[in-house]
Amino acid sequence: MAAQPRRGGISLPERRSASKPDSSIIARITSSPIVSRGKQAACDAAFVSKKLLRSTGKAAWIAGTTFLILVVPLIIEMDREQQFTELELQQASLLGAPPTAPAHP
Amino acid sequence: MAGLVPPGPTTVPAGESKKAEEKTDFMNLPCPIPFEELHREALMSLKPEAFEGLRFDFTKGLNQKFSLSHSVYMGPTEIPSQSAETIKIPTAHYEFGANFIDPNLMLIGRVLTDGRLNARVKWDLTDNLTVKANAQLSNEPHMSHGIVNFDYKGKDYRSQFQMGNAALFGASYIQSVTRHLSLGGEVFWAGQHRKSGIGYAARYETDKMVATGQVASTGVVALSYVQKVSEKVSLASDFMYNYITRDVTSSVGYDYILRQCRLRGKIDSNGCAAAYLEERLNMGLNFILSAEIDHRKKDYKFGFGLTVG
Repeated sequence: MAAQPRRGGISLPERRSASKPDSSIIARITSSPIVSRGKQAACDAAFVSKKLLRSTGKAAWIAGTTFLILVVPLIIEMDREQQFTELELQQASLLGAPPTAPAHP
Repeated sequence: MAGLVPPGPTTVPAGESKKAEEKTDFMNLPCPIPFEELHREALMSLKPEAFEGLRFDFTKGLNQKFSLSHSVYMGPTEIPSQSAETIKIPTAHYEFGANFIDPNLMLIGRVLTDGRLNARVKWDLTDNLTVKANAQLSNEPHMSHGIVNFDYKGKDYRSQFQMGNAALFGASYIQSVTRHLSLGGEVFWAGQHRKSGIGYAARYETDKMVATGQVASTGVVALSYVQKVSEKVSLASDFMYNYITRDVTSSVGYDYILRQCRLRGKIDSNGCAAAYLEERLNMGLNFILSAEIDHRKKDYKFGFGLTVG
C-alpha cells in the first residue's frame, strides 16, 4: 500500500510492521515472547514466595508459642525433679554410711 | 429407674462371661464410682481450671473440723457477647468462706463481695444414703438456683435422684457389670424449658487405664481414654461430638504429678493450648501458674496465684 502514490499530493508515511528487520535491538529483545514469559514467571514466583514466607511465619509462631506453653515448663520441672532426686541420693549415701547416725526424714 | 438402662447389657448371666481365665466373683463386684464422676480422670487432666489474673487463697483451720477461707481475685472477666469478639472487663472480688467437715456432715459456704452466695451441704444419713444440696444465690433476678440430690449406694450399684428449682428433675443409675466394666444411664426433665433427655454411659477401668463413653439424647457423644504411663505421668485424650449441632472437639493432654509440683497441659482441636502448674514452694504454700492460648480466636489468658493452707 505504501508504494501506490496518492492523488492530491499528500501521502502518509509508511507504517512500520513489528517484524521489520531494521527496528532497534533493545526493542526487539524486550518485546520477544521469551522475555514476556520470563517477566510473568518472575511475578508469579515473587507472589508465591511472599505467601510462603507469610504462612511459614504464621506456622512458626503457632508452633513456637505452643511449644513454649506446653513443653518448656515440663522440661524445667523434670530437670528440677532430677536434681532433687540426685540431692536426696547424695544425702542418703552421706548419712547412710555411718551406722550410728539416725535416719534422716 | 432401673428400666432406663436397656435390659440387655446389665443382666448378663454370670455363667456366660467371656473372661473365663479369671474367676470373677459376680456376687462381690466393687461399687462403681458415681455417675457424675464418670469422666473424672479425663476431666482432671484435660480441663484444668485456667484463670486470668491474680488469685490468692488463704485457708486457716480454727479447729479440727472447722476452717475459714479468704480469697482475693483480680483480673479480667469475660462477658458473653453476641458478636464474635470476646469482651473482657476487669473485675476484682474478695470471697469469704467457712467450712465444717465432719465424717458424716460437710457444710461449705462462700460469700463474695459482688453479692453472690454459694452453699454446699453433704450429709451421710446412713452408710448408704447421702443427701447433697447445692445453692447459688445472687443479686441479679432469675440467676439463683439450687439443687438437692439423694444418693443411694447399693452393693454394686449406685442410684441418684435429683431435684432442682425451675422444676428440674433427674435420676441416674450405674451398675458394675464385671470387675472392670460398669454401665449406667440417666434421665432428666427440665420443666421450665420443657426439655427432657435420656443418656447412657459406660466405663471400663483397669489399673493402668480408664476408658469411658457417654451418649445422650441432647446430642452429645463423649468418649475419653486415660492411660497411666507410670506412677507420675498419665496421658489423656477426649473426643466430643454433638450430632445435633455437628460440633466436633478432640483434645489430648498430659498430667505429670511430681514431688514438688503438678503440671497439666492440653491441646485442643479448636486450636487451644493450655497449661496449669501447681508448685509447692514450702509446706502449705503453693504457687499456681496458668496459661491458655487460643490461636483461632487470638485470645491469650495468663494467670498466677498463691494458695496458703
